[in-house]
Amino acid sequence: MSASDHESSSPRSQLSTHVFGELLESMIVDVASECHRIARLGLERNVEEEEEELRLSAQARVADPSNSSEGNGKNVVDIFGQTHPAIASEIVDCMNCGRPIVAGRFAPHLEKCMGKGRKARLKAIRSSTMAHGRNSRASPLSVYAPYSNSSTTNRIANGSVSADHSQGFEEYALEES
Amino acid sequence: MRGSVNRPPTPDADEEPHKEPTLQEIINIKLIESGEKEKLMELLRERLVECGWRDEMKALCRAYARKKGRNNVTVDDLIHIITPKGRATVPDSVKAELLQRIRAFLTSAAL
Repeated sequence: MSASDHESSSPRSQLSTHVFGELLESMIVDVASECHRIARLGLERNVEEEEEELRLSAQARVADPSNSSEGNGKNVVDIFGQTHPAIASEIVDCMNCGRPIVAGRFAPHLEKCMGKGRKARLKAIRSSTMAHGRNSRASPLSVYAPYSNSSTTNRIANGSVSADHSQGFEEYALEES
Repeated sequence: MRGSVNRPPTPDADEEPHKEPTLQEIINIKLIESGEKEKLMELLRERLVECGWRDEMKALCRAYARKKGRNNVTVDDLIHIITPKGRATVPDSVKAELLQRIRAFLTSAAL
């Protein structure tokens, strides 16, 4: 039999510690089985993202010889080891007006050129009014409906006599295909 | 996943008569019968969640599962990973609180 009860607390504290150890072990098994379940069922949504990020950052670190920190946003290397300037610098020709445009400025240009923006719509209205008066073969579109087919109107009446311009556009279209 | 995982084995009637139960076994039975063990488990669980111990252990498990491949881990692996760090990082205040309650129970149960 163990020591009597009215002795020093040492056997009692031994018992207490033993009980505590049991409780703690239960907690450990609890956590372990929950994590096991999460791992096996794939319940963690972020696992693939994290692994992908780890891989990418490792690659980027390899590709970048100066090994600078990721704070340098503009000169970050992509997964092929290339760097890109902030604004695309290649020059393309606008298929609407034929002008050479910097690629990075292409979208705003198209807005103005093709009539999505406010000024272009006003331009279309004004031009179609003049074209309507000048040309018998004018487009059947009414001046008061600027939204309908404004791009067609624009193409016909964009700063030049309608017949020539649509001809030019058709030729251009053929070239493209 | 609550409640104690450890149960005393179901006694088999055909076996030879059992030895005298040890003091530890007696205490365990008293703890369970009085419901105190459940309360102690709840208390310990609450304290360990509060202090972030549980999250730390889960992070260890996640890191291990990522390294080993999530379909290659077993519960045993995880237990072995967690146990040493887990036992060492229980805050002293939590341990003291639990020990005090256990000792109080032992006193009240006249053991």
